[in-house]
Amino acid sequence: MPDSGYPWPIETSRLDNGLRVVVSEDRTAPAVAVNLWYDVGSRHEPAGQTGFAHLFEHLMFEGSVNVAKTEHMKLIQGSGGSLNATTNPDRTNYFETVPAEHLELALWLEADRMGGLVPALTQETLDNQRDVVKNERRQRYENVPYGDAWLRLLPLLYPPGHPYHHSTIGSMADLNAADLATFQAFHETYYAPNNAVLTVVGDAPAAEVFALAEKYFGALPARDDIPPAPDGRSVPATGEPAVEIVTADVPAPRVYIAHRGHPFGSPGYDVLTVLATVLGSGRGSRLYQRLADGERIAQPDLVGAYGVDLAHAPAPLIATATARPGISGERLAEGLAEVVDELATVPVTAAELDRAKALLSTAWWRQMSTVDGRADTLGRYTTQFGDPARAADRLPAWLAVTAEQIAETAAEVLGAADRVTLTYLPEETA
Amino acid sequence: MTLIADRPGPGAARPYRFPPVVRRAAGGGQVVAAHLPGQNLAVALLLLDAGAGRELTGKEGLGGVLAKALEEGTAQRDATAYALAIEALGTELVTGLDWDSFQISVQVPVDRLTAAVQLLAEAVRTPRLDPADVRRVRDDEATALRMDWANPGPRADAALRADLFGADTRWGRPMYGDPDSVAALDVEDITVFHSEWFLRPGTLIVAGDLDRIDLDALAGAAFAGTGGGPAERGGPIEVPLHTNRRIILVDRPGSVQSTLRLGHPSPHRAHPDHVPMTLAGTVLGGAFTSRLNHLIREVRGYTYGIRGEFASSRRFGRFAVSSGVQTAVTAPALVEAVGEITRTQAGGVTEDELAVARSWRAGQLSVELQSPRAIASALTTLVVHDLPDDYHARLREELLTADVDQVSAAAATHLHPEALTLVIEGDAAVIRNDLEAAALGDLLP
Repeated sequence: MPDSGYPWPIETSRLDNGLRVVVSEDRTAPAVAVNLWYDVGSRHEPAGQTGFAHLFEHLMFEGSVNVAKTEHMKLIQGSGGSLNATTNPDRTNYFETVPAEHLELALWLEADRMGGLVPALTQETLDNQRDVVKNERRQRYENVPYGDAWLRLLPLLYPPGHPYHHSTIGSMADLNAADLATFQAFHETYYAPNNAVLTVVGDAPAAEVFALAEKYFGALPARDDIPPAPDGRSVPATGEPAVEIVTADVPAPRVYIAHRGHPFGSPGYDVLTVLATVLGSGRGSRLYQRLADGERIAQPDLVGAYGVDLAHAPAPLIATATARPGISGERLAEGLAEVVDELATVPVTAAELDRAKALLSTAWWRQMSTVDGRADTLGRYTTQFGDPARAADRLPAWLAVTAEQIAETAAEVLGAADRVTLTYLPEETA
Repeated sequence: MTLIADRPGPGAARPYRFPPVVRRAAGGGQVVAAHLPGQNLAVALLLLDAGAGRELTGKEGLGGVLAKALEEGTAQRDATAYALAIEALGTELVTGLDWDSFQISVQVPVDRLTAAVQLLAEAVRTPRLDPADVRRVRDDEATALRMDWANPGPRADAALRADLFGADTRWGRPMYGDPDSVAALDVEDITVFHSEWFLRPGTLIVAGDLDRIDLDALAGAAFAGTGGGPAERGGPIEVPLHTNRRIILVDRPGSVQSTLRLGHPSPHRAHPDHVPMTLAGTVLGGAFTSRLNHLIREVRGYTYGIRGEFASSRRFGRFAVSSGVQTAVTAPALVEAVGEITRTQAGGVTEDELAVARSWRAGQLSVELQSPRAIASALTTLVVHDLPDDYHARLREELLTADVDQVSAAAATHLHPEALTLVIEGDAAVIRNDLEAAALGDLLP
């Protein structure tokens, strides 16, 4: 096993306008991944504007000064490339992987929408994409059983005013109220070169990428007064467990237990990553062994635990289980809580620890097995920690976690007094 | 102006080559491997001729139950010990099932591959299949399907499939079965299917750094204790088209979206029109830039997305469109979708559209075939469809040389807008009148 989680070269540069450029050359295949992290997410949204960062992400595909509506997609797909973008509370990322000879096209497209979106933005485009996003909300959150669990957990975990209190998809009312001027201002405020990281991984030499970055992005003006998101680092403990019970059109009781842990990137989050794997990944996990196999109160494929890798506040750690037929939501919630509580009292064995680390190693190398996976990772570490090379530290940090640290961290952050429990119950079918 | 107005052209193309393929008879079975030098991760996948097409009518979902039952203990260890052993290597047992094959795979750092394949083979070849465990797994699977079927989609898919192929055939029923078919399985169904199909050697697919992998050792582990040769696989199935368009309404009271599934039968995988059909499907509905997505999402804003494509297995295929649209616009969305399919069938594709489709499909071969998992999946295509080692190179060439006439002819021949079945899973009380007024076809009771 390598000592480093990133055994490829990394070269960095910074343009005069503040755009950070990261290159990791790998000539294995004639493909290149281009990835932009903008340091803006739903945590920057003020009250009344929830969902705007994500709706804005949609608008970035709808044309810019030199690119017609929908032409961005057509040019990338017409080059043989794959592309997408995502928004989360922390940031917005845009990415495409193209055959290597189309690198320059991808950079030109990204520069055009970084520097030239506003003049191309129309009311018609905004109205169209607002409808698309409202359909996304219906499809992903409203029309599926348990689909709104994340929307319900966030306000239970984070108080009003906290940057993670509201969801990235936003509310229908806010989306309906969105006006063009707000989006023009949003772009001017946040889509500046000094608020972004450009990462290129694959079949492209660093010197060539730096020259192309200068050519296409170099003349874009920096913005020196980008407002920060509200600070959410400290979330006062309420000392009161938060409990929500939802009766809905769901096929079986389901329970989510959630805690505020540590921010992604901190040593505490590494411990929680290993802890979550011990608790909820695979058939050898405690939740599977205890609830699905042992007591047989939970559906085998629907137990799990995971951290949500947010970096700007104590990040959520979530454990979940869904009841087998005949098992009540109350019974399931008790069983789930018991297994979570035992992380602080029943020491993790060497076998449990080795199992978790082996699964995490594979997961890490799977992320590293594609140029797009590597590009997104380097963009993240540059944006959030100022140095892409820190990506190499993550896997060794996981592998160094001890059973004692897991018990200490469990005692510190998984206490019953600071717990969120969300339970779904099926509607009575009289 | 700080932006550069001129769009740059491409640089010199660097040819993509599919990794070198190694085929070898070893240990009583066949090994097909791809060399990925320097790759830390490796995938091994055992491919068995035990897909859903091997299940008898009335026994749908059997393969899914067997997949789970394999992990309930082996001749050598119980379920918990097995889980701990394989997960200690950094992998879970990943099972997959389609119409043509059953696949069991592991994905691990390369130095653990032999140990992982030994455990894989232990589960596949010598599962305990204790009757009490099998019954429990069956009940869990039935419950899991019931939960899945509470989501929008599975009921609409099943209604479409039954209407296209007939619910009296295996391929007219859901690939993974339904909650009732799984609940009705008995222990013997599972054990007999295992003896019949899981003890033949099959093919071991390997994707990884072959300089660090002992293929003979892997084959020895994968094929130990196997016997029996390949079984007759059956030829293409003739599926008649309906003579008129039909509408099936699946009620989902209170639904804020209508789930749409539109389709008709289409040729099997080895049909000579496979590539032009793929491209016609791409122009119509297979890419973000396709006609359907452009009209229904980007112009009308009716949906988050709409897709339509030809899909095929060894013995049959189907053209299908799927989407979720806001309830209030269900009828207009259907009218527009059927209109676009009709227009494509009648008028074919343009060079401008085809240029995007062929470059995209060809480029995806280099862009998407990176990870060991993706390469292993490409190798399974070679094996299941009896394709040569240079298939991906040939495919790329065929995609890039397909012209407007060929692709338009494929659209004209293989799209049948008048024979579509339109399945709508939504709030019937709200949308029924609109659907009747739209007069798109016969609303089945």
